[in-house]
Amino acid sequence: MPIKVPKDREVPFGAITPAPIKQQELFITSNWRIVRPVIDHEKCTRCFTCYIACPDSCWSFNEKEEKMEWNWKFCKGCQICINECPADALTAAPELDFEDGVVRLEKPF
Amino acid sequence: MAQEKLLSGCAAAAQGAKFAEVEVICSYPIRPYTAIMMELAKLVANGELDAEFIHGEGEHAQVSVVLGASAAGARAYTGSSGVGVTYAFEVYSPAAGGRYPLQMAIADRTLDPPGDFGSEHTDAMSARDQGWLMGWAATPQEVFDNTLINFRVGEDPKIMLPQFVCQDGYFLSHIPDKVILPELAQVREFLPPYKAPHPLSPQCPVSHGPQIRPDQGAPMDAQRAMTFLELPKVIEKATDDFNRIFGRTYDPYLEKYQMEDAEIAFFIQGAHANTCKSAIRHLRSQGVKAGMVRPRWVRPWPTAQIADALSRVKAVATVETSTSYGGAMRGGNLIHEVRASLYDLENRPLVTSFMAGLGGDVILLEDFNYMAKILLQMVKEKKVRQHVYWVGFEDEE
Repeated sequence: MPIKVPKDREVPFGAITPAPIKQQELFITSNWRIVRPVIDHEKCTRCFTCYIACPDSCWSFNEKEEKMEWNWKFCKGCQICINECPADALTAAPELDFEDGVVRLEKPF
Repeated sequence: MAQEKLLSGCAAAAQGAKFAEVEVICSYPIRPYTAIMMELAKLVANGELDAEFIHGEGEHAQVSVVLGASAAGARAYTGSSGVGVTYAFEVYSPAAGGRYPLQMAIADRTLDPPGDFGSEHTDAMSARDQGWLMGWAATPQEVFDNTLINFRVGEDPKIMLPQFVCQDGYFLSHIPDKVILPELAQVREFLPPYKAPHPLSPQCPVSHGPQIRPDQGAPMDAQRAMTFLELPKVIEKATDDFNRIFGRTYDPYLEKYQMEDAEIAFFIQGAHANTCKSAIRHLRSQGVKAGMVRPRWVRPWPTAQIADALSRVKAVATVETSTSYGGAMRGGNLIHEVRASLYDLENRPLVTSFMAGLGGDVILLEDFNYMAKILLQMVKEKKVRQHVYWVGFEDEE
């Protein structure tokens, strides 16, 4: 076979993966986020508006700790949850606030 | 009992889908392909075919619907013509990338310049690099047969790719010819039920079509390219099995006509090949040793087989039937691929191209005579004067 894809770069057949309950590790797509939502658990009323509003299902409820949990691996930073939160529990924190002004990625592309 | 019927290319495609026992069909009207859906709608309404028949709200929706159906594990079928083919374009790459072996029938129609019902291959040819299988039939019988062969090849677990099964609009789609319809048992022997490897199912949830990282794009492309390298074996096995079960004599890749002693050859795809064959008989009666090569597949392109078939002729004419404005040869698409296929031969034949059969034009006997005259002139002069001739529009100074 004249083409060989190294093991560490193989992608599942048709990019089809077992469905995650919250997230899976194969296709982490948050690299282009420039702003992330930060939650104030004191203000949060657990109304689930963020859970409903998120187009990428990045908010879930941690039943044990009884608080909302944010998925940093898939959140694109669209800020819809921040806009929709009726309790003003969410604020936007910049992701690119590096002292030297350079974005550092583990693996450049 | 197998039975013989008089069917148009469209009716033959519908019968092919019926015998393939397709489970989901999505339609949207555009002529000339729409006769396929009229026939299938009738078959479903009469209870002759048990399939979900869905009306898409456009061609983009059509291909999206069958993509979803295929992801859920159904054998899915759709089709279009002309601008319908181009309207669905966005979904072609995801269908191939997600490895959904759905089938799309295309009965060619000229892309709007503006509004032309006639047949021209540019609609389908525009989509040839989207990772689908693609090929043209030349008779209603071959339309029927290709429908089955394409499902078989596309659904092979090593392949899993969608297929464009193409036929010329009108010349083939609307002209009836004799078609042998087989026994369903024969078809079932040839084409086992479709098994999706990871169907969408609540019992075993999977994610289809995720966003991937840019560094995952190249390996996916490479993996798809590897699949295309596997295709010849699968196509050859499928054609062998087809010939055995249905008593046919298809070459897997090419139809070769009078090529044994040919000095000049026409390279042509689709139903115009039928006129070409009459022209060859006529030319031979006048002492011109002409032959014809007709590819049954455009993707995968049968490079080695074409090089072999054309290696002994002195001059080749590609008859284009599609446009590639501003391309390397300033004419159509076929000459690029044919010339590239022949490049590594020690004694390459001279190759030129003829723009013919565009916008619904018939390619006449006298057009083939004209092409032969130019080929003979090339042989005599041992050189290619022009890369492309616009048949009927050349300034004959």
